[in-house]
Amino acid sequence: MRGLAVGLVVAVALSVGTAWAQAAYYAGKSIEVIVPFAPGGAADVGARFLSPFLEKHVAGRPSVTVRNIPGGGSMLGASFFAANAKPDGLTLMCTTSSTIFPWMFGHPAARYDLARMRVVMTLPFGPVVYVSPRTGVQRPADLLRPAVPLVYGGIAATGSDLPILIAFELLGLPVKVVLGFGGRGPIRIAFERGETNLDFQFTPVYLTQVVPLVRDRKAIPLFTGGFPNERGELVTRDPVVADLPSVFEVYQLLHRTKPAGPRWRAYEAAANLTFTYGLSCWAPEGTPSAALQALYEAAERMNADPEFKERGKSVTGGYAVSRGDQVERLIQRAMRPTLEVKKYIIDLLEHKYGVRGLRL
Amino acid sequence: MWDAALHALGVFADPHRLWVLLVGVLAGFVVGMIPGLGGVVAVSVLLPIIFRFDAPTALAALTGALAVVYTSDTITSVLVGTPGSPASGPTAIEGHALARRGQAARALSAAFLSSAVGGMLGVIGLTLAIPVARPLVMLLGSPELFMFTVLGLAYSGSLLGASPIKGLLSGLLGLLLGLVGPSPAAAQFRYTFDHPYLLDGISLEVLALGIFGIAEITSLLARGGAIAREAPLGAGWLEGVRDVLRHRWLLLRGSLIGVWAGVLPAIGATAAAWMSYGHAVATTPDRSRFGKGEIRGVIAPEGANNAATAGDLIPTLLFSVPGGPAAAVILGALYAYGIYPGPRLVEQHLDLVYVIVWSFALANVLGAILAFGTSPLVARLTHIRFALVAPPLLVTMVLSAYQTTRHSGDLLALFALGILGWLMKAAGWPRAPLLVGFVLARPMERYFWLTVELHGWRWLTYPGVLAIAALMVGPTLWSLLRDRREASSRRAKGKPEGSVPGALLAILAAVLFGYGLWEARTYEWQARLLPMVASAPGLILALVQAPLALRGEVTGSELEAPPGRELVQLLVIGAYLGGCWLVGYFWASLLYLLAFLRYAARLQPAAALSYTLAGLAVLWGIIRAFGLAWPSGAVLR
Repeated sequence: MRGLAVGLVVAVALSVGTAWAQAAYYAGKSIEVIVPFAPGGAADVGARFLSPFLEKHVAGRPSVTVRNIPGGGSMLGASFFAANAKPDGLTLMCTTSSTIFPWMFGHPAARYDLARMRVVMTLPFGPVVYVSPRTGVQRPADLLRPAVPLVYGGIAATGSDLPILIAFELLGLPVKVVLGFGGRGPIRIAFERGETNLDFQFTPVYLTQVVPLVRDRKAIPLFTGGFPNERGELVTRDPVVADLPSVFEVYQLLHRTKPAGPRWRAYEAAANLTFTYGLSCWAPEGTPSAALQALYEAAERMNADPEFKERGKSVTGGYAVSRGDQVERLIQRAMRPTLEVKKYIIDLLEHKYGVRGLRL
Repeated sequence: MWDAALHALGVFADPHRLWVLLVGVLAGFVVGMIPGLGGVVAVSVLLPIIFRFDAPTALAALTGALAVVYTSDTITSVLVGTPGSPASGPTAIEGHALARRGQAARALSAAFLSSAVGGMLGVIGLTLAIPVARPLVMLLGSPELFMFTVLGLAYSGSLLGASPIKGLLSGLLGLLLGLVGPSPAAAQFRYTFDHPYLLDGISLEVLALGIFGIAEITSLLARGGAIAREAPLGAGWLEGVRDVLRHRWLLLRGSLIGVWAGVLPAIGATAAAWMSYGHAVATTPDRSRFGKGEIRGVIAPEGANNAATAGDLIPTLLFSVPGGPAAAVILGALYAYGIYPGPRLVEQHLDLVYVIVWSFALANVLGAILAFGTSPLVARLTHIRFALVAPPLLVTMVLSAYQTTRHSGDLLALFALGILGWLMKAAGWPRAPLLVGFVLARPMERYFWLTVELHGWRWLTYPGVLAIAALMVGPTLWSLLRDRREASSRRAKGKPEGSVPGALLAILAAVLFGYGLWEARTYEWQARLLPMVASAPGLILALVQAPLALRGEVTGSELEAPPGRELVQLLVIGAYLGGCWLVGYFWASLLYLLAFLRYAARLQPAAALSYTLAGLAVLWGIIRAFGLAWPSGAVLR
């Protein structure tokens, strides 16, 4: 009994002690979040959505400001972050796969090393693929035999279209891919006009812009990118659109077997980096663990905050944020796929989409 | 509909909201006046503050800031010939020429009134568009959008000036510069020299600052004296108002061009301003006054750029597709409130739509009042020695240019484009076609390839495409015919002489076009076509122009001082920019201001020092208030 009491006292003292230490770390300090894109884009919206909740939930209640440093397809801002951010937890970077892919494939302008940075927190951007009824496709099973050729509009092969393009290869869909649109909004208008007939949008946009089309029978939702289990395998359904099958399920439906091999693993890596960890926030290597812990715990508290859930529903689709320490290993693994997988991606990009200068 | 409109007006019964709107208007007004800072900065500045308010209040602030940027940018354009934002380029030509003739007040009042009217027409267009714009935009696919970019180029045909060959060269140069960066249709970067700074292409803000700003400051300094050479200031406010009344139909047409350019996703306020300037030139019987201070060249574009801002909001609110970069920021703010504009916005958040409409209208009135209130003071600047006005102006321009990417490349690009702008000025090349080519290059290329990929060649027979083509052919033919008639009368003016800057510029252009062609040979077909379309005729024309310039032609040079004296001023600016790169903005500005004020402006040491310190203090205030970044030095951080 006395042992228990002592244990309790020690435990309370420890937890008070750690709480005090964390409160001390960010107390009276301010965090600058660098977003390497112009204001108004997905990364900027995500970072600005998170920042008041960071202010509220990071122990010590630091003030949080967002700073946009656009240029070089996000590589200028990320390079700036790598060169200038001190490892004190006061400068973070929130970005997307647009920063990760050029680094993975050795772009000379990517003067930063993500392998040597710490993941602080991530937020998913889930995709929903939908089709026009004029294609004769009513359900995923019809995808291999459309009545008219499938036409997909995208922005660039090396950006957020990459996992979807790999999914087309994986599923073996006969799709004509037209790249070069200026954004995902204009692509949606082109779909509505009938210039394209196969498209994807991220969940918040899907829920607000595409669902009305679905109701008017102008669009048929087909599948989502899928959501990872605890090992990072994209085998479960997207929790936000749980009534739709995932790429994993559609593959089995079309090909009567589970997906495997470099194509599947390439899809998993690209989709995890683009969708599952769609917005990833980073700290420089050497950031004190007191700072990292405070941020990890803030992620936990944000998920429990009813206001975060409520506002998240309309802003991000309602996904929970992930603690950096829980997903860091998975992200690092996705960023360094096997040689075979990397070769497959480079081959696809070079030969089908004419991308040059990619390095293993 | 009217209920919602009135209900939204009730939103402003809350004095707190009205106060926030005023803060937004003030922020937009100040940002607009600072050369090189435009709508994006105006709304971004407010982002950290507004999320503490509810959605209608936040929207009032953002809309208020955006609405007045193109009202107050006029002030800088007219007074110092440096566009307050890229969309007031035409005003920097015509309005500034009027200011030099001592008619700053007339130009300013005409511009403010046109801005306010344009903004009002834009907001009326926005209101009327809510029920009908959706089907209209649905009619526009890639082929029609491509044709509109070509139409924009054709309308700027009337901007070519007295020497069509120079005008064409300028436009082609603009196209080529606009193609730097990623190619939309093939996964390739062009003309980037593998440098990350150029990966996203050249920024429009830096281009406008360089081509107009640096060149203009150089000339004004070399000439010496004050900006206004003739006539006292006081009078002219009423004359500007009378000008607007006299040219009311032009203002209406210019504003309509603006609204329409705003609705089109690829074409924004800058293109709108130039297109309506082109329209003003094309519809004015006596075109000889353009470039020398023609009030019609102020009225049409000033109406257009404010109207375009309202037009930009139409696709933003109806489709969640931003009509321009500043509208993208507003869209992002709406997202952050969990509001996704789109087909249902009108049903679900009609009150918010009308909050935007009313804020826009109120801000336009407030902006005009502010503008009329402040400009008698500001207009006095045109009667002060320019050597005293230039240093703080240049220092501010460098700061703005640096905000586009916060990379030292901004400084280099500013200077390189400044040299280009100065050479063009010296050789009498019109600079307007360059700006038009630049802003239209990328959308034109994008929509061309999307059209070909999605529609094959069938699109050439689409009714929409044919209709736009007809719109294009008529005015162009008419303008060509008129040119033939006028050509003889124009050719007579001035006496031909050899021009060293002219020859140099032609050779420089030939080198650029030659390099453009040479480099393009390695590109994929989709990345190569437009560079070739720009470079091949450019190279030929430049090679024709070089000997012409050397042997003697009517240059139409806009320099007012001997080229040598101008060059010295340009080098001083270059030295200052180099200093910024080397020791950082703070020390370089301190040294430059002190040295320039003491030795060039010949102030007493004490006066130079206190002026420098006061200037730096104001700059520091701007940097803090707007969250800007100092350029840090390569050697001294």
